[in-house]
Amino acid sequence: MSDSVDVIVVGAGPAGSCAAIVAARAGLSVVLLERGPFAGSKNMYGGVIYARMLDELIPKWWEQAPIQRWVTRRSTMLLTDTQALTVDFRTDAWGEAPYNGATAYRPDFDNWLAGHAEAAGAQLLTSTTVTGLLRDSAGSNRTGAIVGVRTDRPAGDLRARGVIACDGVNSLLAKEAGLYEHTDAKHFTLGVKETLALPKEVIDERFGVRDREGVDIEIIGGTGMINGGGFVYTNLDTVAVGVVLKLSKLAAQSLRPEQVIAGLKANHAIAPLIEGGEVKEYSAHLIPEAGLEMMPKMTANGMLVAGDAAALCLAAGIWLEGVNFAIASGMYAGETAVDAIRAGDVSARGLAGYQKRMRTTFVLKDHRKLRRAPALVLSDRVQHLYPAMVANVAERMFRVDNPQPKPGLRRIFAQERKRAGVRRRDLIRDAWTGFRSYG
Amino acid sequence: MTVVVCLKWVHDAAQPDDVRFGAMSPADHSALELALQCGEWAHADVTAITVGPAQADHILRDALACGVRRAVRIETSHAVSGADVAAAIAAVVADAHWVWCGDYSIDNGSGSVPAFLAAALAARQALGVIHLSFGDAPTIDAGVIEATRRLDGGRREVLEVRAPAVVSVEGATAHLRRAGLTALRTAAAAAIEVIRIATPTRVDDCVVQQYRPRARELAGPDGVSALARVLSLTGAGGARGAASARRTVVLDPLDAAGRILTELREWGYRT
Amino acid sequence: MIAVVVVRAGVLPTGGAEVVAECAGRAVLVGSQVAVAAESLRGVATALTLVEQEAFRPAAIAHLLAPLLIDEPIVVLPASPDGRDLAPRIAFTLHRPLHAGATLVNANHVDMARGGGRELHRLVPGATFVATLQPGTRGVVPDPLLPAPTITSVTGPTSDGDTRDAVVMAVDEADPATIDLGEATRIIAGGGGLDGSDRMRQLADIAAAIGASVGATRVVTDRGWAPHERQIGTTGVVVAPRLYMAFGVAGAVQHTSGLGDPTHIVSVNTDPHCPMMQLADLAIVGDANATIDELERLLT
Ligand SMILES: Cc1cc2nc3c(=O)[nH]c(=O)nc-3n(C[C@H](O)[C@H](O)[C@H](O)COP(=O)(O)OP(=O)(O)OC[C@H]3O[C@@H](n4cnc5c(N)ncnc54)[C@H](O)[C@@H]3O)c2cc1C
Ligand SMILES: Cc1cc2nc3c(=O)[nH]c(=O)nc-3n(C[C@H](O)[C@H](O)[C@H](O)COP(=O)(O)OP(=O)(O)OC[C@H]3O[C@@H](n4cnc5c(N)ncnc54)[C@H](O)[C@@H]3O)c2cc1C
Ligand SMILES: Nc1ncnc2c1ncn2[C@@H]1O[C@H](COP(=O)(O)O)[C@@H](O)[C@H]1O
Repeated sequence: MSDSVDVIVVGAGPAGSCAAIVAARAGLSVVLLERGPFAGSKNMYGGVIYARMLDELIPKWWEQAPIQRWVTRRSTMLLTDTQALTVDFRTDAWGEAPYNGATAYRPDFDNWLAGHAEAAGAQLLTSTTVTGLLRDSAGSNRTGAIVGVRTDRPAGDLRARGVIACDGVNSLLAKEAGLYEHTDAKHFTLGVKETLALPKEVIDERFGVRDREGVDIEIIGGTGMINGGGFVYTNLDTVAVGVVLKLSKLAAQSLRPEQVIAGLKANHAIAPLIEGGEVKEYSAHLIPEAGLEMMPKMTANGMLVAGDAAALCLAAGIWLEGVNFAIASGMYAGETAVDAIRAGDVSARGLAGYQKRMRTTFVLKDHRKLRRAPALVLSDRVQHLYPAMVANVAERMFRVDNPQPKPGLRRIFAQERKRAGVRRRDLIRDAWTGFRSYG
Repeated sequence: MTVVVCLKWVHDAAQPDDVRFGAMSPADHSALELALQCGEWAHADVTAITVGPAQADHILRDALACGVRRAVRIETSHAVSGADVAAAIAAVVADAHWVWCGDYSIDNGSGSVPAFLAAALAARQALGVIHLSFGDAPTIDAGVIEATRRLDGGRREVLEVRAPAVVSVEGATAHLRRAGLTALRTAAAAAIEVIRIATPTRVDDCVVQQYRPRARELAGPDGVSALARVLSLTGAGGARGAASARRTVVLDPLDAAGRILTELREWGYRT
Repeated sequence: MIAVVVVRAGVLPTGGAEVVAECAGRAVLVGSQVAVAAESLRGVATALTLVEQEAFRPAAIAHLLAPLLIDEPIVVLPASPDGRDLAPRIAFTLHRPLHAGATLVNANHVDMARGGGRELHRLVPGATFVATLQPGTRGVVPDPLLPAPTITSVTGPTSDGDTRDAVVMAVDEADPATIDLGEATRIIAGGGGLDGSDRMRQLADIAAAIGASVGATRVVTDRGWAPHERQIGTTGVVVAPRLYMAFGVAGAVQHTSGLGDPTHIVSVNTDPHCPMMQLADLAIVGDANATIDELERLLT
């Protein structure tokens, strides 16, 4: 067995497997390294995958992907301790091919994708952790071209013409390559999730769905004094309940994340949905929240970075998307590596097409469009003032308080804004930021 | 073929429902390491063998990556008893000098496979070994191994073992070496020898119910009051039910200490 | 039904008396000083066959016992180390199935705890089989009115059929100070309620005075006050003491699931409602640290 290959892909998450599929199908020798005992074994997320990017790679993927339910109902919920205001949308269209979002277990989904990488000829090596980069001896230790990786195994160096780093959030490889200028706790949120077992019929009934139809509820508020958000997703016979929490606030409140989940689960708007569910799993994971603000350089001499490793996760309140960005960036990284290796130039310049490819597609376009959204959604006003204000407005609008005549919306709104202590100027500014981001 | 290690593919204790976490048990890790050391000691190649489904191939690959030379998987047509597992293995490695096993398999194992194997191979046995040293090994069948195993009550037995022998070891007896990267890559592509044997369906007629401890016959400890004896007998069965003489008391430290010692005396732990 | 019990230097193994009781008093005792062991079965045994053997050699003994057992449809051994060594050998020699680790054995069914003790598998056995009985599940109450057992001595069995056995070099007695926690019959454990590392040293002194070993919860091992091999629980050692004394231990399920089924539990805790206090036979609401001081004073 030769100790050098064309491409090493680090991390068998969606980014890594897609990169490996592309490179292996182009006929390159590919090794895919994963620290877990199998692909996906350590991976967690909320629960909704938007997989249209796979159309090209795995035609009719929806016929074989290990999917739990197709999301046909999507709710956005503003939550206070005692009130909930929900915008609920459902469509039959998302329950048919090519579908929109799907809930799936990541150990299943990632393992399935990695299987495609192996079928394409990539060699998947599990229980193997990459511990560092190998540099070209010509350059110095910090700047020489990257020519392989170091693993935690004896005689564990492996050389390659190109390395694709798909090692997830807080990427060791991107940092060691010096691609992150700065990262800070404030760039990350902590996602924690419980998976609760319930019989399928109970889930169908409580969430108003049938067969493979599923529900995605995104929640603003409900995380107490800690800025963040929540979600509830339906799988076939489990429900995922989770929160995304701002790290700095979490530390300041000295609360444990499971206490925050417990609070959300006890909320009257959520409790009836999950009552009696037995906790099957508890997991926690960092999310690169800050989007464009934290993104690293994505190419180095001999290396490309994709997926969460490149902070390509889009976390903007009512969106929490990372898998689709990982799939797309992994594919583009694979394609770029193939071209560069064929052209014989794997320097950062030879790999420059990668970034361009992403700028011209949704990968960076979405991020640019929503660049202000993460900060807005996690701001103290959106977190602690607006939910109560809006919910109070709704409560008074819908209340029939005879013999009092109905008050007008404008009056209620003005009163509630004052009561919540929101300055008009801030409200207008936030509304404008929101409009520019989401509009 | 002279040194053999028997590895069983078992479900992970923490993820019993997810076969993808299936692996070999810590005891088998330990057995594999000692088999490799034994191979080095006796200058012999090591064969890894398992009786199990295709998913079990990956533990054989792990073994190949660690240095085993040959990997054999025996596929049976039905679930088989420990005696059948041993018979199948013995048929394939009839001329083995040293056979290494884990002491128990973690999925309901009773540690009987190694003893059955020793019987089937007409070999010596040293079971449940916790410490081991290799003596001089002029040839594969002339070396001596000194093995310590547990007896009950915390006693230890030291055995002198010669080939042919089956040795079963606890998980903590040895720490499995980590496979090198190149070896791992080679093993990932290696072929596994598969031997299929037809086994008769032998389904034990078996009813599964929720576990309840058997009502235990308990003698009252010496020198206790009649009341305590009645209480302990009616609370028999080990279930910490209401019938046991349970007490919650609020005491200051001095009284607490005194009360503990009185109670220990009552229960017969002190005289 | 007949029991087969391996005796070493006149001492019965754990679970030895239980298998004899399970077989209504009929047993073969094999090993060294079997006559001494026979004495200790007063009130339990009715008919004993004694086979004196200098050393424990499972292969040879299985061969020697075969003629004595061939007409016994059911043979039961304790699931002690020697019983587990010998049972498969006997099953092999007699060409019978082995039902290992049973909690109950009779001609109609054999019960076995499975699934980590959550399930009971009740199996309807064939006409002939060998079983091992898990020690401690049955219990025995000697009957003082039972007449002395009839005794048959089988002397000088000649051929061991050219069997191979390992040679016993030595048997080392248990050392209470270094005994594995898993084998300890008395354990004193410290938990998060202790206020300093020196408390563990005090507990060790108290333990020495009452012949116990020292255990700890993860909170204590995490603090570095006790080595990991002293941690009791799912990620530590699984123990099976008869006496368990908990000082400042809350009784989290990860801890208690490794606790076995002690006959007696003492707990000292400031919180009367924590799970450890619910489990305790003697639950003392009070300060564990000061109680330790007093205990140490009383005992040393
Ligand atoms: C709570 C939460 C909820 C989320 N919800 C959603 C959602 O609903 N929808 C959505 O699309 N996205 C969601 N995301 C984001 C999504 O999970 C990520 O964006 C996505 O997993 C990124 O994929 P990846 O392949 O880049 O990285 P990962 O999936 O993190 O994969 C990285 C892989 O690399 C391996 N690895 C890491 N380091 C090494 C190393 N040194 N050596 C070898 N292997 C290594 C890891 O084991 C892992 O397999 C959520 C995230 C969280 C935390
Ligand atoms: C995956 C996992 C595996 C784990 N494995 C294990 C394991 O193997 N073993 C294990 O032990 N734990 C394990 N744990 C940890 C376990 O969940 C508990 O956290 C731990 O057992 C608690 O230890 P404790 O009772 O000593 O501490 P605490 O929970 O801190 O409780 C301290 C107790 O002391 C009492 N107390 C306080 N002051 C006093 C005083 N002055 N006098 C008397 N009482 C006082 C308190 O009322 C309380 O009951 C595991 C946890 C996880 C998540
Ligand atoms: N199916 C099997 N294949 C290979 N080895 C086995 C198998 N079952 C048991 N063994 C070996 O026997 C040891 C004890 O297992 P058991 O008798 O099932 O408790 C294991 O640790 C293995 O070394």
